[in-house]
Amino acid sequence: MNHTLVLDVKGLKKSFGKFEALKDVNLTLHPGEVLGFIGPNGAGKSTTIRVILGLIKSSGGSAKVFGKDAWKESVTIHKDLAYVPGDVYLWPNLTGGQTIDLLLHMSGQTHTGRTDDLIKEFKLDTSKKNRTYSKGNRQKVALIAAFSTDVSLYVFDEPTSGLDPLNELIFQQKVKQLKESGKSVLLSSHILSEVEKMCDTIAIIREGKVIETGSLESMQHLTRNSVAVTTSEPLVKLQNMPGVYQLDFKNDQKTTAEFSVDSDQIGNVMAALSANKILQLKTTPPTLEDLFLRYYHSDNDQKVGE
Amino acid sequence: MAQYTQTFALLKANFKRDWIKLTVWLLVLAGLFVAVAAKFEGIYGNQQQLNTIAQTLRSPAMKALFGPLTHASISTAIIFATEMAVFWAIFMVIFNYSLAVGGSRAQEESGLTEMVLGGHPVGRLAPLSAAALELLIADGIFAVITGIGMTFANMPGSDSNGNWLFAVSLAAVGWTFGMISLIFSQLVADSHNVSIYNYVFFGLTYLVRMMTDVSNPDNTWWSPFGWIEKTDIYIKNNWLPVALFLILGIVAFGIAVALNVNRDIDAGIIQVRGGKRQSRFLQGPATLLFWNQRSISLFWIIGMAVLGASYGSVFNSIGKLVNDSPVIKEVLGSNGVQALEKNQVLSFVGILGIIFTVLAVIGGAMVINHLYTEERRGYLQLVNTTPHSRYYLLTTYVLYGVILAVVILYATLMTTMVVGNSTLAHSLSIRYYNRMFVAMLPVLILFMSTLVCFIGIMPKLRSIVWILLGGSFVISYFGRLMDLPNWAMKISPFYWFDKVPIHEINAEPVWWLLTIALVLMVIGFVGYRHRDLAQ
Ligand SMILES: Nc1ncnc2c1ncn2[C@@H]1O[C@H](COP(=O)(O)OP(=O)(O)OP(=O)(O)O)[C@@H](O)[C@H]1O
Ligand SMILES: [Mg+2]
Repeated sequence: MNHTLVLDVKGLKKSFGKFEALKDVNLTLHPGEVLGFIGPNGAGKSTTIRVILGLIKSSGGSAKVFGKDAWKESVTIHKDLAYVPGDVYLWPNLTGGQTIDLLLHMSGQTHTGRTDDLIKEFKLDTSKKNRTYSKGNRQKVALIAAFSTDVSLYVFDEPTSGLDPLNELIFQQKVKQLKESGKSVLLSSHILSEVEKMCDTIAIIREGKVIETGSLESMQHLTRNSVAVTTSEPLVKLQNMPGVYQLDFKNDQKTTAEFSVDSDQIGNVMAALSANKILQLKTTPPTLEDLFLRYYHSDNDQKVGE
Repeated sequence: MAQYTQTFALLKANFKRDWIKLTVWLLVLAGLFVAVAAKFEGIYGNQQQLNTIAQTLRSPAMKALFGPLTHASISTAIIFATEMAVFWAIFMVIFNYSLAVGGSRAQEESGLTEMVLGGHPVGRLAPLSAAALELLIADGIFAVITGIGMTFANMPGSDSNGNWLFAVSLAAVGWTFGMISLIFSQLVADSHNVSIYNYVFFGLTYLVRMMTDVSNPDNTWWSPFGWIEKTDIYIKNNWLPVALFLILGIVAFGIAVALNVNRDIDAGIIQVRGGKRQSRFLQGPATLLFWNQRSISLFWIIGMAVLGASYGSVFNSIGKLVNDSPVIKEVLGSNGVQALEKNQVLSFVGILGIIFTVLAVIGGAMVINHLYTEERRGYLQLVNTTPHSRYYLLTTYVLYGVILAVVILYATLMTTMVVGNSTLAHSLSIRYYNRMFVAMLPVLILFMSTLVCFIGIMPKLRSIVWILLGGSFVISYFGRLMDLPNWAMKISPFYWFDKVPIHEINAEPVWWLLTIALVLMVIGFVGYRHRDLAQ
């Protein structure tokens, strides 16, 4: 049981009529891991998640949760899974408190002390009718129910899109606690700092294809660092060094420069810089945002890591 | 006036959104009306046919169903007016209700009104006024098409004043009820509740009309719905009811405006109260469904029981022979008269059985429909990710819906019986009511299964069920008066039991109706398990 993957998605496809929403999605989630799932609007994150949850049927490939087929064995899978969608819609005539209890009971759970703590932490007035809640408050209802559910996999699809920064922080703490107690989490989000902070592995999806998977470090490794340097001698030879891009001299003497450099060339470049006597040096690994922007902005003309 | 800015732009947008719905409704409402008028001379052309139908229409049962035939001398046109006025007014009210809710509360619910009012230079009262105008124009078009069509139909005994009065009064009754619906749209914050208020109001006015028609037609003035009968079309051609409708409609719109300026967007005048912080009761889909549906289910059962009681309360008049001259009494003997009277009441029970079944199906089908509504609104995404199978979910809704429909039907028949027997000198045995009930069950199940089939495989087309139900009802309720050919009558599943409760139930159609129902149900269930759930 231990070595079963929590999530194993291979070559997943999904078409809506003629439109291919998912073309080739591959995801793996190991027990105790937090997997971040990012990509631009309409890339297919929610669609992937809905296939994983057995809400829609894949048109090809396979999606397995706990080693079981996501579509055929959805009921068994759902016994050990909690889900919070990005847009939470709740029965207008129930109160928040009633909804939380209902959701817990439906997953075979009970209202515990942990539930009360969560209600307090998220500062939710549970006596109000769902129809009077704001978007963020509806999201809190679903989050409280999910976090007080004791299962092994938690699936969040943009769970914090309506939360204020304070509540988002609480969300991050709660995910951390889940991780510490050995739970697995799939988190789709547009808030990259959130993903960067919380996730062990990141999968990037674009136009229905997962184009990159790995830890943030490994992705940073695949791509370029940005370097700002000042030396005492001119840096002319940088101009035709392999692995150096976007070179920009900041002064006429060409002793101050900014450029980006491929990770595997960094040794050669550093050697060249030292030969020119370094006065000042700053290198920054790319943030997830840089990575993200590079993947989507530069389009196909410049593949990262090539 | 700034409050009304951009009313016309919104009106245009409403028409753009609703044009298919409007076209279909108007074609059916006006087209069918004129078609029936054109065909009418063929059905009731000669004096003998007229006398027969007049006698039928003068019976209290028909009075209760269609309104009274007051005039002594009759013509094709007068019979047409008597048969069609109440009946068509009901459809006009339903049409206008659906437009009014769609143009006011439903639009607000979808967030469109907020976007329009908040982000654009649009007056606060513009959406409401646009809805009122949309109804006015739709009803106006109905009046024009119908008026012209009636002129061409040129029934014997018709006159152009009467033709136009008929067309305009039908449009007016619809519009007025639509305006009243706009008041309810201000009171409560969701379209579902607005519809409930709408139909409760309509039900009350309808019951008052029915009971006063049978007892004392002068009192029918108390019901706005009853005004439609007071036009005396082709007899006196009284335009006063049209004026009354317009005044009531304008007053209602005024009230709606006054309420609208005093409320927040997305809120109703009736405030939403908070509630309990915890729930032990809500354990899963079944208890949730019960919780969400309990008030409306209760409302259906009580409302229908009241309807049954009101029909029951006129049973003694229904039983009376229209032609009870001493000669006839002597010929038939007291036993013969009694048997004849009993048969008269029993065939009335047969018609009531159809009406009650149609309404019971609506009540139950709305529950099953809710499964798809909840799916579309996204409520179910949290349920579908808990360990409950889709079969379980669908079964829950289907069971609840079918049981509700069956309970509604039986409760209504029982109150009809109890109240009916209290007015009759010789009570009718419960046997007849039970027979009626059992005969209607396969029909009820058939319609429910059809809906399940649509929900399972083509949920977008589920409204076809309403067309099938309405069509079957019109064929069976109206077909005989319309002299429809037999093959057309057979399309309606009600046809197969139209001798009940006077005669025993024919077992054969029970089996094949149930078989069709079962097949549809299975298709629906399998389809539901295997289709994508909506977002
Ligand atoms: N039921 C559907 N029918 C047709 N197209 C659909 C359906 N559901 C999703 N799509 C399309 O599939 C694509 C992927 O949508 P999806 O919701 O998965 O994107 P996403 O990555 O979650 O985007 P976002 O970041 O905006 O949430 C979109 O182009 C969307 O329009
Ligand atoms: Mg999404």
